[in-house]
Amino acid sequence: MTSNTPRRVVPQPDELTQPFWDAAAENKLVVQRCQDCQFWSHPPRIMCNKCHSLNQKYEQVSGKGRLYSWAVMHMQSITGFEDRVPYTTLLVELEEQPKLLLLSYMDGSDEGLKVGQPCEVYFEKVEDFTLPQFRVLK
Amino acid sequence: MAWEGKGKTAVVGLGMSKLTRRADKPLGALALDACYAAIADAGLKPSDIDGLATYPDQPFRGAGNRDGEDLVNALFLMTHGEFAPDIKWYAQISTGMIASAPIEGVNALMSGACNYVLFWRAMHIPKGTYNSFRGYQAGGDGQFGAPYGHVHGYQTHAMAYRHYLNKYNHNREKMAALVTNSRKNANLNPNAFFHEQPMSVEDYLNARMIADPLALFDCDVPVEGCTALVMTTADRAKDLKNKPAYIAGYGQNTAHRPEYMTYMIDDYLAAGRPHAGKIYERAGMGPKDIDVAELYDGFSPSTLYWLEAAGFCGEGEALDFVQNGNVSLTGSLPLNTFGGSLSEGRLHGMGHLAEAVRQVTDRAEGRQIKGANTSIAIDGSPLLRGSGMIFTREP
Repeated sequence: MTSNTPRRVVPQPDELTQPFWDAAAENKLVVQRCQDCQFWSHPPRIMCNKCHSLNQKYEQVSGKGRLYSWAVMHMQSITGFEDRVPYTTLLVELEEQPKLLLLSYMDGSDEGLKVGQPCEVYFEKVEDFTLPQFRVLK
Repeated sequence: MAWEGKGKTAVVGLGMSKLTRRADKPLGALALDACYAAIADAGLKPSDIDGLATYPDQPFRGAGNRDGEDLVNALFLMTHGEFAPDIKWYAQISTGMIASAPIEGVNALMSGACNYVLFWRAMHIPKGTYNSFRGYQAGGDGQFGAPYGHVHGYQTHAMAYRHYLNKYNHNREKMAALVTNSRKNANLNPNAFFHEQPMSVEDYLNARMIADPLALFDCDVPVEGCTALVMTTADRAKDLKNKPAYIAGYGQNTAHRPEYMTYMIDDYLAAGRPHAGKIYERAGMGPKDIDVAELYDGFSPSTLYWLEAAGFCGEGEALDFVQNGNVSLTGSLPLNTFGGSLSEGRLHGMGHLAEAVRQVTDRAEGRQIKGANTSIAIDGSPLLRGSGMIFTREP
């Protein structure tokens, strides 16, 4: 990172989310899964969103999904993203479960994007963190 | 069987501060002005007020929260308002937006907890860029958004709107009809922030993007100010100077779902229909019985979701429904007759409630719908949480 690169906002892990970021540091995408009913939840929750079980663990997912929606950001209003506008944030539905949705960052505007396009995970180093990101496969 | 609360309570007074970008006094003082104006409008004395209710949320996450400066809590008015020497009851709502305050007021009045409820919504504009995130770390659910450049509600609303436009094969150009209609109505509303400024379809379409597909005029206009209303029981209302706006029914969004914005991105009908349904059921009415609709428009697509969820048109049809003057003052469903949050100003649903009251009491001046007997006001978005009520001319 050069001195004139703006600092970018990074995650602040807590007890519930630490395993997600630890796995990402090893280039693995994990998502919380109920060990009783197998329902996936993201962001992680203390209680299963479907059956209310407390028995939750992270499991690795395929990293494959479909583009669910997106927005093209034009406001310079987030730390470290001021000079990147316009950029696009993607909402990716993982193949493991309907509406299992993760956010991702994409440079530039949205030309050529279509709902339903296949996406796959890659990993980006940002300061001391590794962020799972998705690229859209055209 | 009809709800026993139907027509048992009413709004009887209405007060507003000016809605500006930079006020000449602190928000708490503006709120007191609006509250005393509402009490005087009702023909009451401040000492009659023995119940207080508000929804004092910050204008956006990360804004300040000093009472009387950034927001106006019930505690501020208990401290600084010269009301009844002994306030008998208050409520401070943290979810469901401002219509949840009069809902609690209805319940308090019907139970006999107090006699006159004052409720208000005060909104502040902090200095600096509205709605900006300047932190270097993001905790909680935000750690899965902010590091990706996604923080603001408007970004998620943009995603939901894109999903909607794609699913029902619409384009954002059609939205010009709704937004310019609201502006025309604001031009008839002397208290609207955009009272003096007309808007053409071209103005709408040429405005800069905020988060595509949401452009500048799809977002409500931040204002500094306060609107306050006074409510009481129907029995007491009969003896006061204004025509009462009777509360026929209310409802809240009680959808069973996890609270994270991306979960809710396309469940506006699943969540919104039961919400509107509760309002209708208590009032013993349906969408055909409604003369005027004040449907929340913090972002313009929210009004589309409400039009469909509240049964004014079918699924995916709202962008067609708002065309050709159908929601104008002379259309089949006059909509956001005061200009909405888009053009009156961002009062988080309070403007909608106030206008729904005016319309059934012949107080809407140049935008009055003649003989309007029923009005509905719903705040929030069915994608999030919200609440609403139906007002009637007769109990």
